[in-house]
Amino acid sequence: MKALLELSNVGMKFDTPKGTFEALKEVNLKIDSGEFVSLIGHSGCGKSTVLNIVAGLLQATDGGVILDKHEVTEPGPERAVVFQNHSLLPWLTAFENVELAVKQVFKKTKSKAEIRDWVEHNLELVHMAHAMHKKPDEISGGMKQRVGIARALAMQPQVLLMDEPFGALDALTRAHLQDSLMEIHAQLGTTVIMITHDVDEAVLLSDRIVMMTNGPSATIGEILDVNLPRPRDRLALADDPTFVRCRQQVLQFLYEKQRKVEPMPKRTSEKAEATRKRA
Amino acid sequence: MVTLTFPTWMEPYRALATGKMSADQWQTLLRQLIWPVMGIAAFLLLWQLAAQRIDTSLGQFPGPVDVWEQAGTLVDEHQASRAKEAAFHERQEKYIASRLAQQPDWEPVYRDYTGAPTFFDQIGTSLITVMSGFLLASMIAIPLGIVIGLSSTAHAAMNPLIQLFKPVSPLAWLPLVTMVVSAVYVTDDPLVAKSFLTSMFTVSLCCLWPTLMNTSVGVTSVSQDLTNVSRVLRLNALSHVRKIVLPSALPMMFTGLRLSLGIAWMVLIAAEMLAQNPGLGKFVWDEFQNGSSQSLGRIMVAVIVIGLIGFLLDRVMLMLQRALVWDKSSVQR
Amino acid sequence: MKKFIRTAMTALTLGLSVNAMADDSVGWPEKADLKFGFIKLTDMAPLAVAYEKGFFEEEGLFVTLEAQANWKVLLDRVIDGQLDGAHMLAGQPLGATIGYGTEAHIITAFSMDLNGNGITVSNAVWEEMKKNIPVENGKPVHPIKADALKPVVEKYKAEGKPFNMGMVFPVSTHNYELRYWLAAGGLNPGYYAPHKGDTSGQLQADVLLSVTPPPQMPATLEAGTIYGYCVGEPWNQQAVFKGIGVPVITDYEIWRNNPEKVFGVSKGWADKYPNTHIRVVKAMIRAAKWLDENNNANRPEAVKILSQPNYVGADYDVIANSMTGTFEYEKGDVREVPDFNVFFRYNATYPYYSDAIWYLTQMRRWGQISDSKPDSWYMDIAKKVYRPDIYAVAAKALIAEGKIAADEFPDFATETGYKPPQKGFIDNITYDGRKPNEYLAKFPIGLKEGDAL
Repeated sequence: MKALLELSNVGMKFDTPKGTFEALKEVNLKIDSGEFVSLIGHSGCGKSTVLNIVAGLLQATDGGVILDKHEVTEPGPERAVVFQNHSLLPWLTAFENVELAVKQVFKKTKSKAEIRDWVEHNLELVHMAHAMHKKPDEISGGMKQRVGIARALAMQPQVLLMDEPFGALDALTRAHLQDSLMEIHAQLGTTVIMITHDVDEAVLLSDRIVMMTNGPSATIGEILDVNLPRPRDRLALADDPTFVRCRQQVLQFLYEKQRKVEPMPKRTSEKAEATRKRA
Repeated sequence: MVTLTFPTWMEPYRALATGKMSADQWQTLLRQLIWPVMGIAAFLLLWQLAAQRIDTSLGQFPGPVDVWEQAGTLVDEHQASRAKEAAFHERQEKYIASRLAQQPDWEPVYRDYTGAPTFFDQIGTSLITVMSGFLLASMIAIPLGIVIGLSSTAHAAMNPLIQLFKPVSPLAWLPLVTMVVSAVYVTDDPLVAKSFLTSMFTVSLCCLWPTLMNTSVGVTSVSQDLTNVSRVLRLNALSHVRKIVLPSALPMMFTGLRLSLGIAWMVLIAAEMLAQNPGLGKFVWDEFQNGSSQSLGRIMVAVIVIGLIGFLLDRVMLMLQRALVWDKSSVQR
Repeated sequence: MKKFIRTAMTALTLGLSVNAMADDSVGWPEKADLKFGFIKLTDMAPLAVAYEKGFFEEEGLFVTLEAQANWKVLLDRVIDGQLDGAHMLAGQPLGATIGYGTEAHIITAFSMDLNGNGITVSNAVWEEMKKNIPVENGKPVHPIKADALKPVVEKYKAEGKPFNMGMVFPVSTHNYELRYWLAAGGLNPGYYAPHKGDTSGQLQADVLLSVTPPPQMPATLEAGTIYGYCVGEPWNQQAVFKGIGVPVITDYEIWRNNPEKVFGVSKGWADKYPNTHIRVVKAMIRAAKWLDENNNANRPEAVKILSQPNYVGADYDVIANSMTGTFEYEKGDVREVPDFNVFFRYNATYPYYSDAIWYLTQMRRWGQISDSKPDSWYMDIAKKVYRPDIYAVAAKALIAEGKIAADEFPDFATETGYKPPQKGFIDNITYDGRKPNEYLAKFPIGLKEGDAL
């Protein structure tokens, strides 16, 4: 079966005054349609760079990204992004923010009424119908992020890219949003790539967790399959042995194997190589 | 968005009227009313005391009472001038009728009153001039600021020029503007006076910089996230400017516009004084030259009115800013 | 007051309609909306009176009067057409036409007044001068000659201090009068050398003269930048009122009944709007007559008009001091000078060629005209600039309308434009307008025929 999204030998070098800096090296990843994939790693490991390359906001210096047989060369609504700090236009209401995206994507195919319905539908999906005529600075951080998700979803993307979407939120709000996200994922079957720092979040939401090594020359360290049945329930999972084991493995990767910010020990690189071959 | 509730600043006065004042409201009342009134009273007292001690060659420096009297005189003069104007029009009617009787094919011309402008006419002239100059400056500065903000090439090309011209005083521009207007604006039937154009262009030249700089900074500092949103949405260049850049830059732009209007008003008065162009500046200069015993009082009236108008112009801009700008935190004072 | 205005208006309107009907001798004005410039001096009175008394309107002219910042701005605005005409220094049309300063052909068909200037010195200089002036009945004997100033200037010179005095414009009456007075007292006021690019007028000078706009004279004197000045009214009387200086002489005493301001327009304007020009002159002749008639009876009213802020704007008392026939020297030393301001009598409004030539001789005397010129040149320039022909048309129209009697004008059939040789100068030198070079030869200080710097 052909993957929906394929990253092959993606590398990223930046020119700096001190010479060339290699941020990413030989990132290879295939993602199937409908899959929920998390990217996890320490700060500065290049997760965001990967995501931005997929989004088309950055151009890889080596290798490339293929989405549904087309190479990614520029950003586009089929790869909608949910940004870390919501990135809503502060002068527009929730409704208008989503509407801007919808009009841009569907202006030729949907009538005015259909556009309005679609905007409202997506806001309902994230439980924001009640505050859709409020401006960003009149609603809470969690609500803003919901609107951000609604905006991305409303574009009907082939891949939904989420850059630490819940990073700035308090634990309770974050839990609510995670539940919503699972609900939506179940309902729409969207393909999702999400960057996170949070191990629990990664295990709870993902089908696969892609663990990245530390930079420079960061790459994929391990990939973990999370074989937990859906729908998942956070309370029930707390004691679930699979959940605990997955959680353990990610923690081990992050805090034992990748504790230091030094160049990779050879063993890990070999393992990564092996992982890539398996994928 | 109109709400018909009591403005919050009025709340303490309502409380005062009903006899129910909280400590907080007392504080507000003190801050809003009592301290300012006391400040003004102290100023008037100091002014009166100081004025009594300053003997100029035009007599004693005018105190608040003299200035108040002169303000009354200026109002009287204005009314007298209006009466003369009415009489002028009456005479003109008669003249036209009599000339038509002698020369039936004559095309009558109705003229405006030819008398000297009063203080209030000068205020009107100054306001029209400052607004025209300010609007012209904005019409140049905003688009140019956007271009400079968007394109680093344009920025590199224009920046030295901006830095060079920004600090130039209106007094330096004035002779050049005057000569250029005289040379270029040649028409037998002028729609507007040359002096108006001179004042207006001088004002524009001096006041466009804050708007230009702030607009370009506002445009440059559009958040990367919003730019990314625009890229993901594949907004074309025009939509990008319209939907993302302009609203983003609006708070900065308004800050610039407010500064510009303030400068415009100051420059205008100076330009009018120097070029003897109609307006409040000319009023001040004429009074200075007259050197009558009332001149200083009349100049003081003009000073207060100039300050008041400057203050009101700023308030109007502030209200506009409040109404139009999304980022309320950018609206200060 | 309102009632008075209304009555006056009705009277005016009645007069207006009758006039417009009666007048056929001068055609309708080609341009009726006019803007005239003036400098805040009492001798602008004919303009203010022609406006306020409705003389302009009766000629079908709708005039706006606008005060100007200084003589240069005023002249430039007449040249570039922002002003249709203006109250000018007699030397300005001549200077502009011969190209001294801004070059432009300016003409005048109306002389605005005689006399009206004075020379004022600071209190300190006056105290020094007083020592050299004889006293009679407790008062200094007038006219005071510059001989009294000479020791003061020499003392300053010895102390290494330049002796600065102000006048209003390089081609102003005041410049020439101040120079005349100084030179008559043996002080060299300095030469101009425009051919060498020197327009400071301070070559070989004992007293350094510089330009200050009239209304700023008292302030500049007070600031100590200058020790004295020559200026028109009310700025000499203002110095007395402010107690900052003492007028020492009026120009009436330097040259009795000297021509002063003129009404200047550009040649191009006059050619384009001949009827308008004639009508302007008509209105101003009437205004001048009003100012002088019945032995200055209207002067108090004129002073009231002039003290309005949009005209001269100084206090009534200050303006009245000179305009009503008196002049105050030292504080309290008020003397009768009935002819201090003359607007109409002695044919004051007639633009005499000989007046023009006197100014040209002074320009030559002080080097503003750098080359020696033949007598015929003086006469040609005078003819080019002074236009008694236009004045005559206006005057005849007024005579025909019955507004002014023919005997109040020169006899136009015989008038040549040259006054007979004039005496009455402070140095007793006689001036004959027909012999400019001979006149120049009489001055001990000054360039003469054949001289060059």
